Amino acid sequence: MTAEPITTATNFLAFLGLVSTLMIVWRQNWAGRRRLFVVQSLLLAALATTIAVYGHRAELFLVAAIVVLLKAWLIPRILGRMAAGTPPRPVAPGRSAGLSLLAVGSLIVAAYVIMLPVTTVSDLPTVGGIPLTFAMALIGLFVTVTGRDVLGHILGFLMFENGIFGLALLATYGLPGIVEAGVFLDLLVIVLIMEGVVLRIRREHDSIAVDRLRELRG
Amino acid sequence: MSLVVVLATPLVGAILLVVARGIAARVLHLLATVLTAAAAGAVAVQVSHAGSIVALGGLFRADGLSAWMIGLIALVSLLAAIEAPYTVPSAAVGRFRPLFHLFVFTMLLAVATDDVGLMWVAIEGTTLASVFLVNLERSRASLEAAYKYLLICSVGVAIAFIGTVLVYFADIHQFGHEAHALRWTTLVRLAPGLPPRVVELAFVFLLVGYGTKAGLAPMHTWLPDAHSEAPAPVSALMSGVLLSVGVYALVRFKTVVDLSGGPEFTQRLLLALGLTSIATAAVFLWAPTNYKRMLAYSSIEHIGVVCLGLGFGGLAGVGGAVLHVANHALAKSALFVLSGRIRAAYGSAEISAVTGLLGTMPVTGGLFLLAMLAIMGLPPFGLFVSEVLIFSAGFQSGHGIIAATGLLLLVGAFAGLLRNAHRMLYGTPAPAIVDVPGLRSAVPTGLALLLLTLTGVAWPPGLAAALDHIARLLGQ
Repeated sequence: MTAEPITTATNFLAFLGLVSTLMIVWRQNWAGRRRLFVVQSLLLAALATTIAVYGHRAELFLVAAIVVLLKAWLIPRILGRMAAGTPPRPVAPGRSAGLSLLAVGSLIVAAYVIMLPVTTVSDLPTVGGIPLTFAMALIGLFVTVTGRDVLGHILGFLMFENGIFGLALLATYGLPGIVEAGVFLDLLVIVLIMEGVVLRIRREHDSIAVDRLRELRG
Repeated sequence: MSLVVVLATPLVGAILLVVARGIAARVLHLLATVLTAAAAGAVAVQVSHAGSIVALGGLFRADGLSAWMIGLIALVSLLAAIEAPYTVPSAAVGRFRPLFHLFVFTMLLAVATDDVGLMWVAIEGTTLASVFLVNLERSRASLEAAYKYLLICSVGVAIAFIGTVLVYFADIHQFGHEAHALRWTTLVRLAPGLPPRVVELAFVFLLVGYGTKAGLAPMHTWLPDAHSEAPAPVSALMSGVLLSVGVYALVRFKTVVDLSGGPEFTQRLLLALGLTSIATAAVFLWAPTNYKRMLAYSSIEHIGVVCLGLGFGGLAGVGGAVLHVANHALAKSALFVLSGRIRAAYGSAEISAVTGLLGTMPVTGGLFLLAMLAIMGLPPFGLFVSEVLIFSAGFQSGHGIIAATGLLLLVGAFAGLLRNAHRMLYGTPAPAIVDVPGLRSAVPTGLALLLLTLTGVAWPPGLAAALDHIARLLGQ
């Protein structure tokens, strides 16, 4: 049986998306991680375009354009501004990427198990990529939770959001316009607020490592 | 019409207040607050006559539950706005006013829209609007609280987004791309045909996500920090209604999931998280050092009680939970605004720094004592009645062990609260501190307590019918 082109294309793009996610976990250099995030966002834009073409959803062309503009250009620029002044250093000192990658590998297995109710009922041609994008989201969550500084938190959150976006694309061929618009707006505002908070934290604490944030206990 | 006004007023008010200065800002602030409350009252009256009202082609819709929430949000924001001059530093008023109205707008939008996607956007918006309110005093501790709040709630609400996507997937998988597939009314209509395993999976994500916003343990960790560092009127809004907005979102989805696969699944999860929340709060209520944190943990306890009510189900359980949301909103917002006055007078939020409150500030202290008795669930206040409703529903629905455990934990929380309130209220009065002058300042919180005695001893006509109506709306 030959697969339909949409199946091949979306599976391949979702797979590449997961690979880019794994590479973000593996890379310890902030600038390299930021570039990989751009790659991941571009892959999602390609995914949206693919579904727009084969799934006949014209509005997804617009969504893809916004993804390129927002997640591959504007937000990475803001991230660059936030990182300016932080000396490049290992993201998680004292921890090897090997252990993280092992944890991430089990998250991929977990993603397949958790998404079973969805993949068993679905007859969509894009169903193969659903666990892969969900794994991207879970790994993003993992990066957020294990992040040692504010930049790690925000990058993890953005990866998490990218994964959910990919999941929504593959499972529903895009959400209603008003929701999609709200999501993009929320994301931009979150990043801008985070930038403001980072500036304040840097001024108050001379560092953005979250270990310094320990005034509130109990 | 009134539905559009109730949403537009705080939004327009917030935008105008960004540019307004001086006396114009004061007038605008007052006008926006009063108009919002009046429009909310109009919505409540219309809904009580018509059952439900819609606007903008059904995008906005208020049924009994929405009207209940709109009324509560308006009431608590009125109280918070009246009390704000006592506790918000004058240097920060310019930032406080527009953000305050924006915050109120996002909460109203979340409960007044029929579209669960837009509801998600609005609930995310509540975080974004209130994060700088938490950080209003610009101290190190409040910055840390704001950061934790933004990060944890954004991640939480993003998890709820996965749930929303899965519900949408189930919907279009079964019924194709029909218009308004994410409207709650559409979902309820189609629910019996949705694949139960998928919507149950969705509910797990929604419970973790919106549960974070509602302050359910173990996703509650942002809550004590944000509530204790925010200025008192903001804490009142957050604790009084923001948490309930999170519960509201859960209740909407619970109705859909119950119609799809039966109520046992959601009930089990809600009972488990409810009990965990009450237990967590009971432990932390024993030895809090800061009285605003103590009030925050008490909110976790009461949200847990609400979840138990929803989990026990039936007209008494769900009706009791809805009533408990209102009772808690009134009592806790009164407590938070009073705690703001206490903090302004004593210059500290530490329990050990406050002694002899009743002697030092007789009016504020007296009201604080009454509100504490209310929040502990003692008669004649409303929380006693709603807790009796909820726990009797538990025993009647065959959840005797869970109800008994919940009651025991409640007694533990009660003892903790009593012990700490006693430390604050009695003892040697602090000499150099004077109370906020005049009995007039006691009127707003006094009225809130009066309303609480109404729900406690003499239900106004129509209240029982309204609670029944809301519980039936939610599939009971």
